[in-house]
Amino acid sequence: MAETQLLFRKAEVPEHVPPENVIDFDLFAQPSADTDFFEYWKRLQAPGVPDFVWTPCNGGHWIATRGEDIHTIYADHDRFSSRNILLPAERNEAIRVLPTSLDPPEHRPFRSLINHALSPKVVRGLEPSIRELTVSLIEGFRQRGHCEFASEFAELLPISLFLKMVNLPVEDRLKLKALSEQVNRPDGSMTPEEVNQGFYDYLMPVLLERRANPGDDIFSQFLAGSIDGRPMTDAEAFELCMQVLIAGLDTVVSVLGFLMMFLARNAEHRQLLVDDPARIPPAVKEFLRRFPLVAIPRTVIHDMEFQGVRFKEGDLILVPTMLHGLDDRAYQCPLEVDFERRIGIHSTFGAGVHRCPGSLLARAELRIFLEEWLSRIPRFDIEPGRTPKVLYGIVGTVVDLPLVWQV
Amino acid sequence: MVKLIVIDAEGAEHVLDAEPGRSVMKAATDELLPGIMGECGGCLSCATCHGYVDEAWLSRLDPPGEEELDMLSCAVDVEPNSRLTCQIEMSEALDGLVIRLPAAQF
Repeated sequence: MAETQLLFRKAEVPEHVPPENVIDFDLFAQPSADTDFFEYWKRLQAPGVPDFVWTPCNGGHWIATRGEDIHTIYADHDRFSSRNILLPAERNEAIRVLPTSLDPPEHRPFRSLINHALSPKVVRGLEPSIRELTVSLIEGFRQRGHCEFASEFAELLPISLFLKMVNLPVEDRLKLKALSEQVNRPDGSMTPEEVNQGFYDYLMPVLLERRANPGDDIFSQFLAGSIDGRPMTDAEAFELCMQVLIAGLDTVVSVLGFLMMFLARNAEHRQLLVDDPARIPPAVKEFLRRFPLVAIPRTVIHDMEFQGVRFKEGDLILVPTMLHGLDDRAYQCPLEVDFERRIGIHSTFGAGVHRCPGSLLARAELRIFLEEWLSRIPRFDIEPGRTPKVLYGIVGTVVDLPLVWQV
Repeated sequence: MVKLIVIDAEGAEHVLDAEPGRSVMKAATDELLPGIMGECGGCLSCATCHGYVDEAWLSRLDPPGEEELDMLSCAVDVEPNSRLTCQIEMSEALDGLVIRLPAAQF
């Protein structure tokens, strides 16, 4: 399936991998512009493709292709470790993040700090500022009749809000976004060591200053937190704050892009939400099922058989969240967007102890965005003759979405 | 199977059959009951399975543990009878348990 030049080495097929499970799938390939991101991933569920496939790309790894297995693997930290969360595996030596790369019980004290920082209570308190920022961004371009949605809205709303929560200047967003992109969608322009150093040079002075003069921002809360009764070290604080930045700068941005691409092309769905805003909360649930975009690996802890497949200790399994909500074994006609759909379990936010702690913030941002956008710009299209640009990788995203509307 | 009664914020009563050993959160989310999320699946990471235990049943439950209390402090509209329902395991002794849901989980 690789359609662009390989960034990373290909591996030999190990002895325990049956030849019929081997395919060629490059996580970092950038297919042609007319490819649908979700259909591209869904090719891994085409008839005849085994539930677990192994690709030699990016150092060699398995891919879990079915929803139930994806959910089980994310939830089962006794069999599937989080010690490698990037591919190829050696990139994890240069870029260490907390608590995403820790297993329980070490994971818990760090996660607890994040849970408090993004709690239901905190998210409820943020609603007025999310709404205010959403409205001011939309009003900034509404009279113009067009915008480039990714850079003029999708990147600004979640990132500005998030940088406010960690009390960093919003002007720094481009620099931080560029570094985050090299973690999730490396293009070969920076080594992982350079990416890590970039974050370190930016964050370390900030963290040392916050330790000396704490504020009420999330980073200061982390620094004041206790890790099993001891203070957090500077190195831990760096790895934790870097993770929070990477996650906060590169996910809601992407969902917003995909859902607006959908709404621009599907007037009937859009009209349902314009006519009856009470449909927006269930629509957000359905969009989250339909537009998952993160694929993270897990590492097999012991030799074992799982779902009839033999895995060796240290085997990497890529676990694409895309393939749960889109699995026809879990949802009928999974590519259809249906606001009436009964939505049970999916893995858009992962599962288990590492499940995305920002999911409530994401849900609130998406709901408020739809309420405010659709009441102001109820009809819009993709600019005729233009094709939106999507990037593939650990997090898929929309980087160019030119929208037009009548003023 | 034992009976679990969940009363939503509008006052509607949902009578569920719960398997002993299954948590209140799982029993409710298995039925896709609105008003309860259980975002983290029950590993005490989200505080979105918040419910109020009917006063008559409070004394029959084990008290919340330290991690539950810590996460409960993250929930909205917490009352003295608030619990994270992923931590309440259904049993014969809790046959007929009544849980009320808050107006919103976040």
